[in-house]
Amino acid sequence: MNLTREQLLVSYRTMRMIRSFEEKLDELVTAGKLGGFLHLYAGQEAVAAGVCRQLDERDYVSTTHRGHGHCIAKGVRVKAMMAELFGRQTGVCKGKGGSMHIADLDAGMLGANGIVGAGIPLATGAALTCKTKRTGGVAIAFFGDGASNQGQFHESLNMASNWKLPAVYVVENNGWGEFTPTAFVVPVADIAVRATSYGMRSDIADGNDFFDVYEKAGQAIEAARSGQGPTLLECKTYRYYGHYVGDPLNYRSRAEADEWKTERDALVRFETRTVGDGHVESSELRRIDTEVTDELEAAVSEAERDPLPDPAAVLEDVYGQE
Amino acid sequence: MGVAHKLNDDLGAVCTYRDALHRSMHDAMTRDPNVVILGQGVDDHKGTFGSTLGLAEEFGAGRVMDTPLAEEGMTGIAVGAALNGLYPIQTHIRVDFALLAMNQIVNLAAKYRYMFGGRFEVPMLVRMIIGRSWGQGAQHSQSLQSMFAHVPGLLVLAPASADAILQTYPWIIEHHRGPVISLEHRLLYDVNFRVGAEAAATGDTPLGARVVRRGGAATVVATSIMVLEALRAADHLAQHAGIEIEVIDLNCVSHPDTRVIMESVERTGRLLVADTSWKAYGVCAEICRIVCERMPMALTAPVVTLGMAPAPCPTAKVLEDEFYPNLRRLTQELATLVLGREGRDVPLPDDASMADVYKRFKGPF
Repeated sequence: MNLTREQLLVSYRTMRMIRSFEEKLDELVTAGKLGGFLHLYAGQEAVAAGVCRQLDERDYVSTTHRGHGHCIAKGVRVKAMMAELFGRQTGVCKGKGGSMHIADLDAGMLGANGIVGAGIPLATGAALTCKTKRTGGVAIAFFGDGASNQGQFHESLNMASNWKLPAVYVVENNGWGEFTPTAFVVPVADIAVRATSYGMRSDIADGNDFFDVYEKAGQAIEAARSGQGPTLLECKTYRYYGHYVGDPLNYRSRAEADEWKTERDALVRFETRTVGDGHVESSELRRIDTEVTDELEAAVSEAERDPLPDPAAVLEDVYGQE
Repeated sequence: MGVAHKLNDDLGAVCTYRDALHRSMHDAMTRDPNVVILGQGVDDHKGTFGSTLGLAEEFGAGRVMDTPLAEEGMTGIAVGAALNGLYPIQTHIRVDFALLAMNQIVNLAAKYRYMFGGRFEVPMLVRMIIGRSWGQGAQHSQSLQSMFAHVPGLLVLAPASADAILQTYPWIIEHHRGPVISLEHRLLYDVNFRVGAEAAATGDTPLGARVVRRGGAATVVATSIMVLEALRAADHLAQHAGIEIEVIDLNCVSHPDTRVIMESVERTGRLLVADTSWKAYGVCAEICRIVCERMPMALTAPVVTLGMAPAPCPTAKVLEDEFYPNLRRLTQELATLVLGREGRDVPLPDDASMADVYKRFKGPF
């Protein structure tokens, strides 16, 4: 393991923040304190945390409607994200994006997108910029199994491979596209094989194992950075909540979900391995748990008190209105 | 501003629409190393109907990139590149293929600044060429400006002359930070224009409408090649009926220059709108809305509109000539608008086919 104790603690903190952030949102919506259309990332934390741990400030990520985790892992401020979800002026997008459209260019975060697959060419374009301007940066497209059926996925992989762009395509196969099992609409067992048609490298990681994702993403990112072109990295994982908050989940078995949540949980496995190997103390992890809980409580109470946007802002930031 | 200087230098020179496009592409590449051109065939022997010819050789394949037929993906790549410091100029050799990129244009490019609270800019130009004449038919000749102009966040141009290109393209590439859609008419490519002859827009930017012919009898608001048709009709009527028609080149479709339009309509009291597209929910309808909302009492006669027949474009020449508005019809409508019943006695020009005219007639305008 080439991560320092400090890096391990930060990685755990990222995963814990994602999990607790999503649990907090579920709690707020259920209590009627928060509205909006929310798609929670809980269960997939190891993917966002493992990939983003390999990135630096030169790099970009694009994400999806289920994008809170990638935002947190790439360093978007949690407080501003919470304010955004509460529709406040202080939100990261001034209350205009909400859950499905969170972005922060300062953090190299090119945007969550409500259109499935739309972020894939964006990351490809960011990779084109990195190559053209020789910034040394790489761009990561995070997307789900459903998006791998979109034309934009295929069009982007084709061009990225042809142009040898510094891009990594991270497909998070969580087994479900909305309410449809992935196997119903994808005729191959591994989405990774789709890279073959484009002469692209591919790899498969256990998306619930931080260390496996970290290692394989690292290889893909290194290849991209050194001019060897893109990789399609499939991470097998699972979505703990439904498609959206409020989804009755009557289409999948409880046993299936329970198995993932107990046997394969990313946070539990991270703790078992790092504490078991003596790299960190479990008391340190509990301290982080408490800090995260406190930070989220503070973010919620601040967001609740923050000012609403000025209604006149409805026309602000439309191109051509100035 | 710099654009005006350049025009003065060129005053009296003649160049084609294609030359103006090529020059604006070349100048943009020279001025700004972040400008890249992406499109099908931009580096081939035809070079986007001549408008990108030789640029790959001069600026390198890394900046003039031939792309596959993957419109949505390529537009997304352009958006992603624009978000991070490149200025992509994307070309569609037919507007119709841009429909495949509507998701990226409408759902992303147009909304990216707004949706994220002003944190992003998407500076890019998408050039779309309107095909025309025999055989192009239903899927290669559509004028879809109003579909794009309907969406807040997109700036939509329909340049009608070499001047319009030489004035607007450098300005938008340098100053406008959002996505611009420009619909270039294929029939205009070979037409010669006197550079500097057209009145510049009067507003703060070169995007505004241009009064290209002064007159008091009626106002024609026209787009793209219909501006030239309106000028021909106006010349004919001046000669054969002693009527002076005012012709306005709308230029920017998405943000119509209401001041110029209203000032003219108030003075003439009569309005004809001539668009290259269908009338319903389009430029014709929008210009009528502008007048109706502001000063309907300025009109002394009902508005007349001219556009394509409400059908897909047919290919048989006899049908195609019927499908497009032609000079005869435009002249007749204008004569009747101004003179009433007596307008029917005004002799009409012979040209029944616009495509034939512009294949034969090269200007200069």
